Amino acid sequence: MAKEVFMPKLSSTMETGTLLQWFKQEGDPVEVGEPLLEVMTDKINIEVEAYEEGVLLKRYYDEDEEVPVNGIVGYIGEEGEQVPEERPGTEDKSEPESIRETPAQTAAEQTAGTEKVEGVRATPAARRLSRESGVELSLVQGSGAKGRIHAADVHAAADKQHVRSTPLAKKEAQANSVDLSAVKGSGSYGKIRRADVTSQSAEEELRSEPLQGVRKVVAERMQQSAGEVPHVTLHTEIDMEAAMELRTQLLPVIEKQTGERLSVTELLMLVGSRALQKHPAVHASMTDNRITKQSSVHMGLAVATDRGLLVPVIRNTETKGLAELVAETKQTAAAARNGTLPGKELSGSTFTISNLGMYAVDHFTPIINQPEAAILGVGRMQEKPVVIDGEIAVRRMMAVSLSFDHRIIDGAPAAAFLTDFKQMLEQPYQLFV
Amino acid sequence: MQSSAVNSSNNKETTRSITFAEAVREALSQEMREDQDVFILGEDIGVYGGAFGVTRGMIEEFGPERVRNTPISEAAITGAAIGSALTGMKPVVELQFSDFITIAMDQLVNQAAKLRYMYGGKGNVPMVLRTPSGSGTGAAAQHSQSLEAWVAHVPGLKVVQPSTASDAKGLLKAAIADPNPVIFYEHKLLYKTQEHVPEEAYTIPLGEADVKREGTDVTIVATAVMVHKALEAAEKLAEEGIDVEVIDPRTLVPLDEKTIVDSVKKTGRVIVVHEAVKRGGYGGEIASMIAESEAFDYLDAPVRRLGALPIPVPYNPALEKAMVPQMDDIMQAARDSVHRR
Repeated sequence: MAKEVFMPKLSSTMETGTLLQWFKQEGDPVEVGEPLLEVMTDKINIEVEAYEEGVLLKRYYDEDEEVPVNGIVGYIGEEGEQVPEERPGTEDKSEPESIRETPAQTAAEQTAGTEKVEGVRATPAARRLSRESGVELSLVQGSGAKGRIHAADVHAAADKQHVRSTPLAKKEAQANSVDLSAVKGSGSYGKIRRADVTSQSAEEELRSEPLQGVRKVVAERMQQSAGEVPHVTLHTEIDMEAAMELRTQLLPVIEKQTGERLSVTELLMLVGSRALQKHPAVHASMTDNRITKQSSVHMGLAVATDRGLLVPVIRNTETKGLAELVAETKQTAAAARNGTLPGKELSGSTFTISNLGMYAVDHFTPIINQPEAAILGVGRMQEKPVVIDGEIAVRRMMAVSLSFDHRIIDGAPAAAFLTDFKQMLEQPYQLFV
Repeated sequence: MQSSAVNSSNNKETTRSITFAEAVREALSQEMREDQDVFILGEDIGVYGGAFGVTRGMIEEFGPERVRNTPISEAAITGAAIGSALTGMKPVVELQFSDFITIAMDQLVNQAAKLRYMYGGKGNVPMVLRTPSGSGTGAAAQHSQSLEAWVAHVPGLKVVQPSTASDAKGLLKAAIADPNPVIFYEHKLLYKTQEHVPEEAYTIPLGEADVKREGTDVTIVATAVMVHKALEAAEKLAEEGIDVEVIDPRTLVPLDEKTIVDSVKKTGRVIVVHEAVKRGGYGGEIASMIAESEAFDYLDAPVRRLGALPIPVPYNPALEKAMVPQMDDIMQAARDSVHRR
């Protein structure tokens, strides 16, 4: 009996998921725990694994289609088993029962299975050569109009099949979809060995990959924001001596409480939250031509992960002390890096901080995380000669840049916000006011 | 028009170049000298020599009994020919323009094509109907058509469409010898083309195609004047590295299927070219025959047809030319076939 593959509910608020990609073709064997498809929710994308062993009988959705939660995206079962042609409804759980196959249909399906290449566009000559040489047309790349396979394509494919390789290399090539004929063999008489294939596949990966998953989301959001929003960026340098002194003193205290080390990021979050509360104009968002003034500060934190940029959200930072911020920030960032962060913790921020201070970046102009009104970009801290009271002194200076949406905020309130932010860091006791 | 590929003949001592029209006249004269039953009839074929001068001088040799001027009635001329053929004569009719075959259609379709069958083989209709066809002379819509598909459709009629002087001579002699009615098309633009034609009597059997040029990449099946355009195209395509085979079926009925099928099996690609309107043209028959044949499994490109646009032949020379396939069209079709487009 074929088993359904459902669109999983990955968060309490998730209603639909976007099917990013299938890892299996119809007819492919599937093992329990093998990745079957990739799903994207709000911001996170997750690989959905197979719960059943068998053959992927049917795929009802194409890539990039939206699927309702608990919608049946496919079936896994035994080869030849009958499943509905049309996409089944989501609500009726008994539906799969009703399609229990009639024997006649099954037989018809099985005989039809031998005519696998019916959808291939190929000339009669190419088909004849395919029959004669045993080259499967579905594996041949057509060079003609609309991908039509010509005789020359089958000849070329047949030639490729005669590539000398070790069985292990062949398996490796299949697993990584490496074209063996393009691999240079290092074995005797040019025989392709496994190492040749692995180096080749690593090379090929470098060349190109489809825009998908987190990368795709980032690409779309960045393009949208950079295109739609009139960005203005204000730069200032902050004397961090006092803030760093504060950090030095609080470090053991917070480490004792949370087991984590206080970093500049949390200080910036705390100061940023205060400054936002003092400057409600900056703490706003715009959707559908409506400006919403935010009250609670939900701080988005740009985090670099292997899969690309994620912005996990720490909620209600205006109510939280440094210890709480440290604990929550470290946990959330780690979860984001591991890809285990639930989707809801990746959305709903009201302001974003992007800290590149760990790199040799003096300052940069961040792109606003829409629909927010502003984003703070943080550069590295550096000892610099500065003039204080007519004397040159060496101080730890840090450049920050505030990009704001000029549709929502004017220059003056943004500058006022940044000034306050700078002063609170330079004179941290202001935080007690 | 020069027939380029064919007249570069080699045997110097017998090189005697005559025109297509002269070759037809020679075939008629040789048959008439040989066989007293052969006679010709048509409008103004006597002293005037016919609309294109093909029979010029023949009345002087054979006299008005055997070179008979007729009234202007294609139905009557054809009917008279059929009647005399049934009695054992071998008439050769000339219709001034093949467009007027429509007037003789009842005689051809319901009489000439049917009588042998209706009489259970006890009567034959050994007649030939010669008629000039095709466009390119500025003769406009009623004097320029290529209606060979009409007659090719009717069982009982044989249809010949030669493209060169030497073919015309041999085929006309075979047509006259044939005991069945044969429609013999002579393209107007070919009348003045010259090539070496052997002086002695010879026949070319009906139903034997001729490979006018051998090639390996694409087969062009062309008829009448299109044979020459295909050959010119082939020469130019050779410069592009495309090796074209040109086949002239020479007779549409019977059709030499084997030569065409063998060629397509060799090249895997085929273009069928004729001057007649593409829609309902005989090219469709040839293309279908190929698709049904053993050559199907060798086809590596769609079978392509080139034919005239479905419009009356325009009087304007530029439009007249634009209506029918030209060398560039043939070249492009060949490129598309070979380059998998």
